[in-house]
Amino acid sequence: MSLAAIDGALAGQKVLVTGATGFIGGRLVERLVLEHGAEVRALVRNLAGAARLARFPPGSVTVLRGDVTDPADLETAMQGCDRVFHCAYGTSGSQKHRAWVNTEGTRRVLAAAQAARARRIVYLSTLMVYGQTGDGDLDETAPRQRFGNPYSDSKLEAERIALSSGLPVAVIQPTAVYGPFGGVWTETVLRSLKAGRQILINGGDGMANPVYVDDLVSAMLLAAVKEEAVGEAFLVSSAEPVTWREMFGRFERMLGGGDRTVDMTEAEALAWWRKSQRARPRLIGEGLRIVKGERDVRERLERTREGVWLREMASTVLPESWQQKIKGRLAGGGRAGHSVDPDRELPIHPLPPKMIGFFRARTRVRIDKAKRILGYRPAFDFETGMDLTERWARWANLL
Amino acid sequence: MTKPNPSKVRLAVVGCGAVAQIHHLPAIAASERVEATVLVDADAGRAKALAARFGVPKTATDCRDLPGQVDAAVVALPNSLHAPVAIDLLRRGVHVLVEKPMAMNVRECDEMIAAAAEGRAVLAVGLDFRFFDSSLLVRNLLKDGLLGDIRRFEMHQGVIPRWPFATDFLLKKEMAGGGVLADFGVHVLDLLLWWLGDWAEVEYRDDAMGGIESDCEMSLSMTSGVRGTVEISRTRNLANTCVFEGSRASLEVGVWEPDPEIRLLIADREVSLAGRARRDGGSGLDFTDVFVRQIDDFAEAIRKRREPFVPGREGRRSLALIEACYARRKPLELPWSVVPVSREQVS
Repeated sequence: MSLAAIDGALAGQKVLVTGATGFIGGRLVERLVLEHGAEVRALVRNLAGAARLARFPPGSVTVLRGDVTDPADLETAMQGCDRVFHCAYGTSGSQKHRAWVNTEGTRRVLAAAQAARARRIVYLSTLMVYGQTGDGDLDETAPRQRFGNPYSDSKLEAERIALSSGLPVAVIQPTAVYGPFGGVWTETVLRSLKAGRQILINGGDGMANPVYVDDLVSAMLLAAVKEEAVGEAFLVSSAEPVTWREMFGRFERMLGGGDRTVDMTEAEALAWWRKSQRARPRLIGEGLRIVKGERDVRERLERTREGVWLREMASTVLPESWQQKIKGRLAGGGRAGHSVDPDRELPIHPLPPKMIGFFRARTRVRIDKAKRILGYRPAFDFETGMDLTERWARWANLL
Repeated sequence: MTKPNPSKVRLAVVGCGAVAQIHHLPAIAASERVEATVLVDADAGRAKALAARFGVPKTATDCRDLPGQVDAAVVALPNSLHAPVAIDLLRRGVHVLVEKPMAMNVRECDEMIAAAAEGRAVLAVGLDFRFFDSSLLVRNLLKDGLLGDIRRFEMHQGVIPRWPFATDFLLKKEMAGGGVLADFGVHVLDLLLWWLGDWAEVEYRDDAMGGIESDCEMSLSMTSGVRGTVEISRTRNLANTCVFEGSRASLEVGVWEPDPEIRLLIADREVSLAGRARRDGGSGLDFTDVFVRQIDDFAEAIRKRREPFVPGREGRRSLALIEACYARRKPLELPWSVVPVSREQVS
């Protein structure tokens, strides 16, 4: 196994992990402690999310409350650290603030790492730094460009900051990361498919390039120890091509099948998006804003049976469920061939134009560089990774 | 707040973390029977800020001078300090309402109970879920045999916490005493023991790896012969219900909200009942209502020299079960957590 290359290089070393309460950072901490005997320092903004970090033997994980944008917190957290994994990114507040956390947080983590003379900083970037990718092979020589949303564009800027810092930085660019405790490409997909139907652009033949979390973590660990990784960026995906049809289909199967995807051409998907925008219920939206502002009114409404239900569903289903109510006005969006009971038919989640392009692309992410320089060898094929993910999702009450 | 009101029990709130801020102080402010006169916290700034917010006249950084100044104290400190602080106060005649879990272990519970007897003081345990109307309804339904013979029960309690922790004590074994079992589990196990009576045997698994658990499962056999399972989590949002399957009917009750839905499914009947527990003329409870009930019960116990609704003896019961669980602990096998160092390459 390629991880043999690490061969005790992290044992007993002090390692700072930002974003340790998250999906990738959380699994990274687990592996650093249990597999490599590292001494982890975790900079944590919200202690409520830190339960999983408390499972390890005393002294193996030190949870430090603080923020990646606070130089004093970083200085404390960085004390004595040989290596740093910067996984944190903006997850709360306005889009502008989140973007600022991504760029300024990275700048400050780097400054603190420099002051502490850390030997390696692994920066967790994203495939999105290549913007809207085209069909065919994609490797690290492709131009970096804006995708056009605050997350991707600020990650692009943060990656530039990291690579131009002159510090011993290695950048990992994961594709669609899924697995136990996964957010965007695991739990969010399941919740979305429960609440409505996913549009598959052109039959879902775009490439998903999924990567199982443990493979990504292996690549990150290798990037922390391989000398040749310094100054380099590495795309990290799985070994085999997987389409969006296969990806969403696998999640659909976890939910017991049903009719949770709908095929559309790009033009149909765009028309569906435009109709959904025109039909957006302005009056109700304003009502919601009023309710949101009046604490007492909100609390009383939230306590009603419908309120409890709405609160639970709000994060994913709210706009779509209302759209479903008025779907009489949205005639002709879905393709024929779905002879589902109309009363039970799930609403179709509209895809914003940028996401239509994202799901359309038949981009094949190459991992040759990570293989060659890091010795990265994906150990989880799609079937194995998804089987583990399904077992977790069932346990986590998501199915 | 101006002058002390002689008809009210004078309270110190010892420990000004999240539970004091969110639940105890608002409940004390809403209660007719008690008033907070001193806030105690090692962090003087935190105590002063809260005192200003809730109109409490005095603050202190330790409990030395409390006897004489107050009649009673709410102890809402990190778990490891519950017993030492409560014992000291009880011995000196200060009545104590101690947050859950009552203590770190059964030995400490016994010492607290003895200290209360010695100081002739009331010792109440903050197992506030017992004050839910739903909890009493379930206890009565089970006691009255409405479900017939109870065949089994199944409890799933899990939430990904959003609690605004003031400190990190709950992540430290030496201060918390345990993980999710001691933190969330103490509430739901207390309910279970209150509903079904004592336990006889337990098998227990959790996900701790030298630290404290965030997920656990147990199989329980009660002295009545009823068996069931309990699952507790702070990494997953579970159903947060307890289901009892009886020969005549099944009952499902929410266990994490003060006003949960209760469902009664009568065996072989197509129509079921779903609703909420209500006292005569009462409305649905929220947590402030529950904490007001708890503090009022505590005040009444002091005034009438009666036992509180949840005395130390009762608080000890769930801790005895928790202690037994930790003593019998086996690892919870979670296939996705296996570290893949020895895994052969698939591709």
